Order: sequence, then structure tokens, then C-alpha cells
Amino acid sequence: MRAYLFLICPVLLFLGGSYLLPFLGIMQLSFTDPEPGLGQYSHVLTDPLTLSVIWRTLRICVIVTAVSVAAAYVITLLWVRGRPLVRSLTELCIMIPFWISVLSRAFGWMSMLSNRGLLNSWLKDLGLIETSLQMTRNEFAVIIGMSHYLIPFAVFPLATAMRNVDERVLTAADGMGASRLRIFWQVFLPMTASGVIGATLLVFVFSVGFFVTPALLGGGQSVLIAELIYLWIFQIPQWGMAAAMSVILMLAVGGILVLLMRRYGEMAK
Amino acid sequence: MTRLHPGRIATLLTALVALFLLMPLIAVVPVSFTSRRYLSLPDGKYSLRHYQALWEDPEWLGSFLTSLQVGAIASLLAVALAAAFCIGIWMLRPRFSGLMTGFVLLPMVAPPVVSSLTLYFFLKKLTEWNSLIAYDSLGGVILAHMVMIVPYAVVVVMVSLSQLDRRMDLAAQSMGASVPTRVFGVILPNIRFGLLGAFFLCFLLSWDEIGVTLFVTSVETITLPRRMWMGLRDNVDPSIAALSVLLILVVTVLVVLRAAILMRREKQAR
Amino acid sequence: MKSEAIVVNTTQIEARSVGKKYGKFHALRDISLEIAEGEFLSLLGPSGSGKTTFLTLLGGYEDTTSGHLFLEGQDMTGWTANQRGFGMVFQGYALFPHLTVAENIAFPLKVQKRSKAQIAERVAQMVEMVGLAGHENKKPKALSGGQQQRVALARALAYEPKVLLLDEPFSALDKNLRGQMQEELRRLHRELGTTFVFVTHDQEEALALSSRIAIFNHGELQQVGTPDEVYERPANRFTAEFLGDINILTLDGPAGIAGTPIQLPGNASGLGHLAVRPEHMRLAAEGDANQLPVRLRDKVYLGSKSRLLLETRGGEELMLYLDNGAGLVAPQTGAEIRVAWDVQDSFAV
Repeated sequence: MRAYLFLICPVLLFLGGSYLLPFLGIMQLSFTDPEPGLGQYSHVLTDPLTLSVIWRTLRICVIVTAVSVAAAYVITLLWVRGRPLVRSLTELCIMIPFWISVLSRAFGWMSMLSNRGLLNSWLKDLGLIETSLQMTRNEFAVIIGMSHYLIPFAVFPLATAMRNVDERVLTAADGMGASRLRIFWQVFLPMTASGVIGATLLVFVFSVGFFVTPALLGGGQSVLIAELIYLWIFQIPQWGMAAAMSVILMLAVGGILVLLMRRYGEMAK
Repeated sequence: MTRLHPGRIATLLTALVALFLLMPLIAVVPVSFTSRRYLSLPDGKYSLRHYQALWEDPEWLGSFLTSLQVGAIASLLAVALAAAFCIGIWMLRPRFSGLMTGFVLLPMVAPPVVSSLTLYFFLKKLTEWNSLIAYDSLGGVILAHMVMIVPYAVVVVMVSLSQLDRRMDLAAQSMGASVPTRVFGVILPNIRFGLLGAFFLCFLLSWDEIGVTLFVTSVETITLPRRMWMGLRDNVDPSIAALSVLLILVVTVLVVLRAAILMRREKQAR
Repeated sequence: MKSEAIVVNTTQIEARSVGKKYGKFHALRDISLEIAEGEFLSLLGPSGSGKTTFLTLLGGYEDTTSGHLFLEGQDMTGWTANQRGFGMVFQGYALFPHLTVAENIAFPLKVQKRSKAQIAERVAQMVEMVGLAGHENKKPKALSGGQQQRVALARALAYEPKVLLLDEPFSALDKNLRGQMQEELRRLHRELGTTFVFVTHDQEEALALSSRIAIFNHGELQQVGTPDEVYERPANRFTAEFLGDINILTLDGPAGIAGTPIQLPGNASGLGHLAVRPEHMRLAAEGDANQLPVRLRDKVYLGSKSRLLLETRGGEELMLYLDNGAGLVAPQTGAEIRVAWDVQDSFAV
């Protein structure tokens, strides 16, 4: 029995000490810094600037989630159901970006979209524009960059759902003379709905607390919640506010995760 | 039975998505060969100066070594902790094992910025007590990375253990094997590939880690992503393009290699 | 307890009202059983009968919820598997895939910290004993099912445990290999004199191998006895029907079946059915005491013998075997005939 404790306890102690305990400290800060009470929370939820950041975050995350899941659905379809060669090619298109550092990917978009970037020079070469289009340091760039980062994450739950579709059902629908479009809309899509929901929640959870890509591609012009927390720590120190915002974020994400697990729990039944 | 393959519209859309996914990776390549000091496309003049800079600049080299150290040590410790935990749970199947596992996975599902703030807060406090594991120190970064990668190690090791025949351990037990013998003589050798995979994944995650690193480092301990961040944030340094091209090359070679190996194995299986 | 320590007893293991509950489910109820030193005891029963549960309790892999287990008079109820030190052959063998055959067999010896020379000698001896010479350096994956089985046996016997527990060891083998391994197991038992406790759901296997058979059903012990005892004198209807084929006839009135008077065996009082094994039934000849009129419903030619399917006037089915070499001509289907048996071969259930 003692031997088992030696196995199980170290990691619990490690995370308890260096993760749970400090998080409790953060919670305490959110109620005490600079003043005891719920002041920080009421400020976060009423201050117009903060509120605008929250709204922007929600708006961008919803758009990013929709774009990512839709794009992921399309590419997963070919990854799971395409012919062998197509499958291998799509797999490479999913896996290579997935394993590349988030910084390199954000930098790639900067090189692509910046004023002296590839896209602007192409457009100029084609004679479509005279002066460079401003495509970085704005929400557009943030949405592009975040979607690019999150598509591979949406692929995995979708692939699981699509692999679980019973081939015979599709063959049966085909045999009954249903058109391909009808088979897709009325048979395949409903049968993979669980994967869509899973991917949506997963991508949304990831996007809400996301920091690196928006900070780089937004260029300080379109600040999201995570960057706001960073600013509250390193630029205009307001620990209590940062703590309160973190607690709110943690609760929101926790809620979504519970939803997700209940959803999958029901499906397991 | 003919399988219904996706049609032309789906293929076209996928091509667009694939282009979107690969575009930024390709865009980096020409930028890395610019002869200018700032982010730009090479206009006729190609130069390898940014690749040279990576090699010659002691700062880049230093960060490379720091990342290597952090990744290796944090991964090793994280895998050790995770393996011990998973084996304990697997052998004992204690009450609350679900709860304990859920707790260990917490850093993986919590918003990264919250984890970053938490670890920053923790290391700031530790700095008041010691300088070994402290804010902006190698020890501090290693600890922060361990917290973030332990859950992934736990997942990989758990999967590996779930494929192990429990009766094998019972057999060892029936022959009088002690817990250490069961762990080192029976269980560990049979999950060695899982451990290797866990280490590999952990190393990659630590190697790429930026969110938390940004919060817990400043000027002393600068990992490779952290240096890239600095180069991206202030004035965009084309050396990052050169570095990115190299990193993308490594990943691409590895992913293609893996796919090729899997395909060959499949063919052999047939 | 005190008296037991003095009495010289060949009983090695004793279970006293052992029970096991999983939540509210009784996996085992009130099992009392003595296992003698050096015997070959089979635990037989359908799946879910509790036989495997009893084996895991004996081995110490799970705790009993009630009752006690004794090893040579000592209460071993709370002992771990390790402390009991019984050998165990698991279903599916549970060999160590990362070790070679020799290393697998050496494992328990290394655990006991025997000297290198001793281990090498013992391993060579065991490899020889189970007929695996030449395969010492192979990994289990490179072996056939039968060979893996031999390694499992050698490994479990290498450290000379007093008791060897076997959990359906042959269930994964095909029929030919099974017969061969059964022979092998009998030989090992004879040579070693170790107590074997063997779980199986295959009655032929149990009858062929065991010195005694314990029959389980629904978590309860139905009967313990030598193979011929449990076969010829089943204690209850479950045992009678579980082992081999049997004809069961409803008794009506004090001494008759479907209106025909019958001689009843001694144990008949209070029981409503008469059981006769098909091999003890024959077509009636003049002078047979116990005769029952039946109709031949069907006959199945089986080569050396034929199986006759019969029906009593009460509508119950019977079966008997007719030796095709005896020169008897089987009656035509639909014929009214008479069957007979000796009263000592029948029993009431």
C-alpha cells in the first residue's frame, strides 16, 4: 500500500502545490486586491472598455469557431472518405500545420498579409490594387490566424464521428435512389452531428483563452480577453482585475466542458 | 459494395482549405531569403544572411540550447511523474481514481492564459524564497513546462497501459514479485513505446511552448519561442523567417516520413 | 482450532462457508470444501457459476466477503496472493511478452533471489519437462498456442509451489491440441504430486483429468466427488443434467411412469423424477423387470452406434444408444417398442 502511495502521490502533490494552490491564491486575489469584496468582478463586468473586450472576444471566437469547424468538416470528409491517395494528401495538409509552432504559423500569416507581404505583392502584380491593403493588425488577421491554428483541432472529433458512420446506411440511401446532395444533408450530416457539436465546443473553449496568435496578428489593435489579462499584469498592474477575469474565464470554460462531457456521456449510453 | 466518395464540390472546397492551411507555411520561404533587414520579399536579390545570423548569433544559439535543456528535463520529469501516477492507478484502481485523473488533466483543459497567470503568481512567490526555481530562471521554466505537459504524458501513458494484459501483472504477483519488481520488471518494459511516445510529445510541446513561457520569463531565461516572440513583437526580424523555414522543414520531413512508413506497413500487412 | 493443529490430516486447503459479493450480487454463497494434498480437483460449471471466482479467492487475488480459507490448518483468509505462494496459470497464459521463454520461466526464481547457477539449472529442467528444448531464447509471440501454454505451465511450476491453480488453461486451444495438453497435464501431475485446482467449463476435460470434481452453479457448490460419483450418482437434478446426457422421466403416483408400474431406486421418496443415463437403457428383452412402452420417433445413424429418440405415452422424450455391431436390427420409425433398465442404474431427482 505504501508503495502505491509513492506512485500516485508525487504528481498529485506536484500539481496541488504548483497549480491548485496558486490558483486558489489567484481566487483570493480576485476578492481582495486592491480592496476586499466583489469590486473587481463588478468592475470587470461593468467597465465599458473591459466589456468591449469581452464582446470582441465572444464575437471573434464565434466567427473563428464557425470558420474552423466548417473548414475542418470539408477537409475531414476527404480525409476519412476520400480515395487512398487523396486521403494521404489531406492527412499531410492537416498534420504538417498541426505540428508546426504557433509562432511560425502566426509569422507565416504576417509574411502573407503584411503590407510588403506575398498577398499584397500578388494583388499588385495582377494590377488589382495600387496601394497595399492593410490586412494585419486588425480583426481580420486575428480571425484568419486563429482559424488556421484551430482547424486541425476541429478535425479530430469530426474524424471520429465520420468513421463511426455505418457505411451500409449510406449504401442503402444510395440504393433507394437518393441524390448525393440529399444523402449528405439528410443522412450523413445528421449522423455526424455529434462530432460537429464536439468540435464546436472544443474549438470555442480553445479560442476563448487564446493568447499568442491574437496578440501577434492583432498588433495591439484588437485586444482579446487573454491579452487583456496579460496587459493587466505586465503593462498596467491590476492584479485583482486580472485575477477576477481569470476566474470568470475558468468558470465559463469549465461550464462548457461540463456540457461537453455530459453530451458525450449521454452518447456513450 | 461501392463506397461513396466525396464529390467534386467537396474536393474543390477541400483544395481551398488545404491551400489555406499550407499558405502561411509557404509564404515564409521567400521572406527568409530577403537581403533586407526587415520583413520583406526579396526583390531580385536573394541572400542567406538570415540563416547565417541564426548560426552565428550567440543569442539564437543560446536560446536553442535553453529550449533543448528545458524540453529534455521537463519532459523526463513529467513522464516519470505521469508514469508513476498511471501505474499506481492501474495497479491499485483506487477509489476516486476518476477524480484524481481529472485533477491531473486540469492544466490541459484550463484556458492557457489562466494557467500562465497561475504559474506566474506561483513563481513570483517562490522567488521570495529561492533563486533556483524562480521567476525568469531555468528551474522556473522547467517547472512551469512540467505543469503544462504532465497531463499529455498522463494521457499517452494511460492509453498505453489500457492495452496491457492485467493478468500479466497478476501472474507476476502470484509468483511473489514485489511492487518494484512488478513495476520495473513487468509493467515498464511493456509500456516502453508508450513512454517513448509520451516523452516525444512532451518534448515537442515544451519546445513550442510560448503562452506560459511568456509569463514566467523576462530577460534571463529565453527559450527559442520566447526569442521568436521578441523578434516578432518589436521589429519583425527576418531571422525568424529563416528559423521558421528550418522548423517547418523538420516537421514536414518527419510527418511525411511517418506517413510513408505507415503506408509501407499497411502494404506489407496486405 | 487447537485440535486441528494436532490431528494429522492430508487436507491441504479448506474453505469454510466462503462467500463473495459484488455489491448486492452474490457471486459465491457459503462454499465449504476440502482439498487434499496432491489431488487434482476440477471446478466445473457453466459460465457465471462462480468457479473462477472461487479460484481467484483461493489464489488471494480477491478478498472473500464471508467465511474462511485455511492452508494446512492456518487461517489464510487475509493473506495476499504473494503470501499464499500458489502457482497460477491464467486464461490466455499472461506470459511476459518482453521476456524470452527462459526468462519467463526464470522470473519467479529471480524473485526468490536464487543463485544464477540454480536458476539456470532449474530453467533447463523445466524446459526439458514441458518439451520446449530449443525454444529457450524465443519470445512468446514466436510460439504456437500450445507452446505458450507449456511456457505458462513451466513458469508456474518452476518454483515448486505447493498448489497450482489453473484457470481454463486450454480454452484457447483447438481440439487436438487440447487432448495432447490434457495428457501432458496428467503426466505433470503424476510426476510432481503438486495439488492442482483446475477451472473448466468442459465436462469431458474435468471427467478425464480430475481425481475429484466440484460442480458449481449460480454461485453455489452443487456436489463434490470423484468423476464416477458425480456422473453415476448426481446429488441433484442440475448435476445430473449438466454432466453428459440423461433421460428424465416424471413419476406419477407412487410407482409409475405414464401409467406403467416401475421399480424405484432407494432414494425415491419425496422426489418426482426418475433419471437414467442413455447408456444404461436398452431395448427390452423377455424377462426384463423394468419395462416401459415407448414410440420410436427418430433414429440417427452414428457409425458404431445409432441414437434412438423415443417418446413415452406421457409425451416425454427419451434417448438411448444402440450398438450397431451387436446385430440388433433397429425398429422402424413410428414403431411401438419397449425399453428397459436395471433399477440400480436409475436414481430419483
